[in-house]
Amino acid sequence: MKKKVLTVLLTQALVASMLAGCGDNGSENTTDNSQKTENTDATDKTESGDTTDTAQDAPAIDYGSGEITIWVAENVVDLTQKLVDDFIASNDAYSGYAGNITVEAVGEGDAASNMITDVSGGADIYGFAQDQLTRLVAAGALQPLNDNMSSWVTSSNDAGAIGAATSGDTLYAFPMTSDNGYFLYYDSTVVTDPTSLEQIIADCEAAGKGFYCDVDSAWYNASFFFGAGCTCAFETDADGNFTGVTADYASDAGLVAIKEMAEVASSKAFVDGSSAGEATNVGAIIDGTWDSAALEDMLGDNYACAALPSFEGADGKTYHMSGFSGNKLLGVKPQTEGGKLAMCYEIAKMLTDTDAQLERFNAQGWGPSNLTAQEDSTVKANVALAALQEQMPYMIPQGQYPGEWWDLAGALGADVENGTLTVDSSDEDFMAELKTHDDTCASLIQ
Amino acid sequence: MKKNSNNVLGIIAGNIKNIGVTFKEGDWKTRVSFLIMGFGPLMRKSFARGLAYLLIQVAFIFYMATEGISNLSKLSTLGTEETHMDPNTFLTTYGDNSFLILLYGVLTAVLCVLFVAFWRLNIQENQNEQEIIKKGGSLPTATQDLKSLLDQKFHATLLALPVLGVLIFMVVPIIFMICVAFTNYDANHQAPSKLFTWVGLENFKQLFQFGGNGMGSTFTTILIWTLVWAFFATFSTYFGGIALALLINKKGIKFKKLWRTIFVMTIAIPQFISLLYVSKMFAADGLINTYFVKWGIFERSYNFWAHPMTARILIIVLNLWIGVPYVMLMATGLLMNIPADLYESARIDGANRWQMFKKITMPYMLFVTGPYLLTSFTGNLNNFNVIYLLSGGGPTSLKLYGGSGYTDLLVTWLYKLILNSTNYRLAACVGILTFIVVAVTSLIAYNRLPSIKDEEGFQ
Amino acid sequence: MAEQKLHKQHTALGNAIAYILLVILSIIWLFPFVCIVLQSFRAPSEGGGGMVDYLVPKTFSLASYSWLFSADSNFVKWFENTFIIAFFIALGQTCFVLMVSYALSRTRFAGRTFLMKFWLVLGMFPGFLSMICLYFLLKNVGLTQAGAIPGLILVGVASSGMGYYVCKGFFDTIPKTLDEAARIDGASRARIFFTMLLPLSKPIIIYQALVAFMAPWCDYIFASYIAFGYSKSYNVAVGLYDWVNTNDYQGYFTRFCAGGVLIAVPITALFMALQKYYVEGVTGGAVKG
Repeated sequence: MKKKVLTVLLTQALVASMLAGCGDNGSENTTDNSQKTENTDATDKTESGDTTDTAQDAPAIDYGSGEITIWVAENVVDLTQKLVDDFIASNDAYSGYAGNITVEAVGEGDAASNMITDVSGGADIYGFAQDQLTRLVAAGALQPLNDNMSSWVTSSNDAGAIGAATSGDTLYAFPMTSDNGYFLYYDSTVVTDPTSLEQIIADCEAAGKGFYCDVDSAWYNASFFFGAGCTCAFETDADGNFTGVTADYASDAGLVAIKEMAEVASSKAFVDGSSAGEATNVGAIIDGTWDSAALEDMLGDNYACAALPSFEGADGKTYHMSGFSGNKLLGVKPQTEGGKLAMCYEIAKMLTDTDAQLERFNAQGWGPSNLTAQEDSTVKANVALAALQEQMPYMIPQGQYPGEWWDLAGALGADVENGTLTVDSSDEDFMAELKTHDDTCASLIQ
Repeated sequence: MKKNSNNVLGIIAGNIKNIGVTFKEGDWKTRVSFLIMGFGPLMRKSFARGLAYLLIQVAFIFYMATEGISNLSKLSTLGTEETHMDPNTFLTTYGDNSFLILLYGVLTAVLCVLFVAFWRLNIQENQNEQEIIKKGGSLPTATQDLKSLLDQKFHATLLALPVLGVLIFMVVPIIFMICVAFTNYDANHQAPSKLFTWVGLENFKQLFQFGGNGMGSTFTTILIWTLVWAFFATFSTYFGGIALALLINKKGIKFKKLWRTIFVMTIAIPQFISLLYVSKMFAADGLINTYFVKWGIFERSYNFWAHPMTARILIIVLNLWIGVPYVMLMATGLLMNIPADLYESARIDGANRWQMFKKITMPYMLFVTGPYLLTSFTGNLNNFNVIYLLSGGGPTSLKLYGGSGYTDLLVTWLYKLILNSTNYRLAACVGILTFIVVAVTSLIAYNRLPSIKDEEGFQ
Repeated sequence: MAEQKLHKQHTALGNAIAYILLVILSIIWLFPFVCIVLQSFRAPSEGGGGMVDYLVPKTFSLASYSWLFSADSNFVKWFENTFIIAFFIALGQTCFVLMVSYALSRTRFAGRTFLMKFWLVLGMFPGFLSMICLYFLLKNVGLTQAGAIPGLILVGVASSGMGYYVCKGFFDTIPKTLDEAARIDGASRARIFFTMLLPLSKPIIIYQALVAFMAPWCDYIFASYIAFGYSKSYNVAVGLYDWVNTNDYQGYFTRFCAGGVLIAVPITALFMALQKYYVEGVTGGAVKG
């Protein structure tokens, strides 16, 4: 049953994208016969769907020919190459690209900075983490999605993912995952109660193990601030500019959060870090799904996951730690030729559809953003993703932040660690620090 | 420096005067050569030279007509036509690329300067030929010219490629980046999608402004640490290296070569492997902390890299590991050069070893290694690897702007500005200031070094 | 430390202390390298190939090494690239440096001091600023990404004439009377350069080539700038640096160590073999700046 749904979805997608292409290629009617037949076949299969009428009227698209480079993270390179090759082979209309599609291993962080260095030398399609979106839009490295692609993305992905791919009102990328969030991994022989931060730290101290928490990273220390009830959010326009900000770290809630960070940092079990590969003595670690395999190896039978814990603030109240929920996205570089643009859209779409997301989940544990894929039974059974799911209600969908903000809010944590602020600092000192944060946020608006 | 600029002005004035004189006293062939390069030599049957000059001129005019003029003309605005996307087809049309306009503009300007130099040579050539003919001599033939390139003019042959290489791969990029310091080329003005343009001294104002979004305090903090670091890094490795050399060369110590080999491993093994590993060794959960806690030396693990003071001290200490062997090698060779009779007469005077070290060894070493100390100091001002691989510039703080940290040098800060914030305009300013810091420190010292003063003395 | 030992007499006690010091220092100096070697032999089952907080692996294995040579890894290709780059840079740089040094040491011409001062000043600009500009210059002629290897060689050689100091210092110490005698006999400057000076310059040639050969193995910034997005053009430094600095690569630490050992062994061997010349160069360079 499920498979059938998928096929329908897929074919619908195909039709939609052919519609997308028809606008730009009205003048070019050079498609040969074989391509036409193939396309008609595709539309025939969708008879059961409801978009067939228009589709049959649509002229076949000339995708042209050329070379396409795709950048994805190292661990999904082979999988992506296979998906793309199969996809190109599946339709004669794509034959102009057969054998000319290169998949390179370029990590999400590098992809963004490389694209910004030289858009023309960069990949046509590339994966990146959502925090780079506005930077890429501002650098002109992202092609906005056309109406058909936009409606496909909007209808098939979760709301957080759609927000992540949007700047202003424009959708700029195809969501790939909805697992860019963090939760608690712990050693079940060390931690007795994963719901209480105080208990976790006490347990780690007693066992001589580390409690890993990346407080000098803005992304991770947001769990304290948002958990205590602070807000920090930026508004963007369609050009990737930041137009407004709401930041209230300098408040009672912010005070609770930063004091708690100082409290955590004062523990002898505290270790600053969030990378499983570099951690050597894990009692508990706040980390994301991408490290699940490494942590499973490391902790073996004692491997366990949970939502982030609650902590008792300096004001005596209990707060549940929050955090960002974010996405990995797949972007298309601005194109100058209609055929290639249509092809890039097609490939990006194929690489982020239900099947591809499930394949990546099965191979590497990447949590899908696709609504259908999220309902898959294997996805639901994954321990790490279950913990993420459990944490989800407390998380804030990660909107867009200026690059400087990550340094700025990260420095709040750094100051807690480097002794500028300690548990013994006065409220005034804490407030002054938080005020600097809020003021600088305001100055980041252009 | 001042003397230098006077020289340059004097040379230019002299040249202009000389050109005028050549024109006044030149025959018609020479005068035509002012317009058509190589005309004189061609008419005087010095075909090879004449043709070379003519070709240079033709090529230059061709280049200027096809590209050069348009490159230069766009330089004043750095482009006006914006990149835009057709809202119906979603296709992008690229407009002017400010980056390439500036780059090609600089290239063309450099070419123009080169052309003027050749034009000047062409006039000189005419003048020389006229004089030779006046004296009744004959002009050198093409074969003679070629031969002289291997003899009297061998230096020209040798220097041609290296000088050209430096011109294209050093001078052009440096001029380009100096220009960038006066533009608004940053994350919001990225070529090819957005244009950037000239903004005058705005960037320097931001760099020196205290408070607001100015970076005065960040800049001062980093500058002071850069100087402190360079001082300690240079002298700690210097004295450490001499001490080690004395230790290894102590009479009665066997296997000198083996000891030396052990220490120079740090030079041979690429730093990105060794330093990266050492950095992780000192992490909060690294080897050092783990064992120190296990042995009870530390009560709890201590994150060296998270505290400004310990991070700075640790970096200077770890730099010994890299730097000492280098000085040790150098000192080993130099110590043997100290005339033995100096020590002999000192011993007769009843000096002990410590006094001899203080009165003979150190003064001698300081005297001969002056140039080393200078290059080492300036090298450390820009010592990217040690800082970047060990601490990454951290720890950061809200007191410092834009992700820079307490161990950042000007040069690592510059790199962060480029990599993390694509802020080329500020990076270029920091680059220029780094240059000024290095230039001021070294030019003062350079002119005082004994071995530079009597360069010819060794020959 | 060591200075204090100096005034002690040549007694057995003095030597014993010196030996103890040397042994302690040697242990400190070698410790990180021993760690890297030990970690490179750690079995992947232990800590999943990530970092651990103990020194000696519980299970030894060659898994990291065999992985480097497997089809999953580009290590062999990167090693080959780096070797090619290092070889040609060593060749080109040595030629350029010899040429410049001879011209500046042996001939006097108009603009000589200007050139020397100008280059000295140029060398004071931080190189990072040039990176993006060099990238686009090279891109124009197709020497980035797929063509990154010749591109890196070109950049490595092109401006290397500026590093003439040590070599010129060496030439300055060769008596000029030798040249003058030869010139009286009618030898051209080119002939003097090739037949007289070069044979005398073996130590400095080896020093220059060695230094030039070693540098590209550590170039993880500029090389990644020029080759980005095209892993077949990476050098070892770029490839390995990614393994420990990008989140995509979890559990690559033992592989990083193994790769590091494979790079370090041949370079160290080469360095040790030519150490004598290196010392001469360093010593000469220190005095001549």
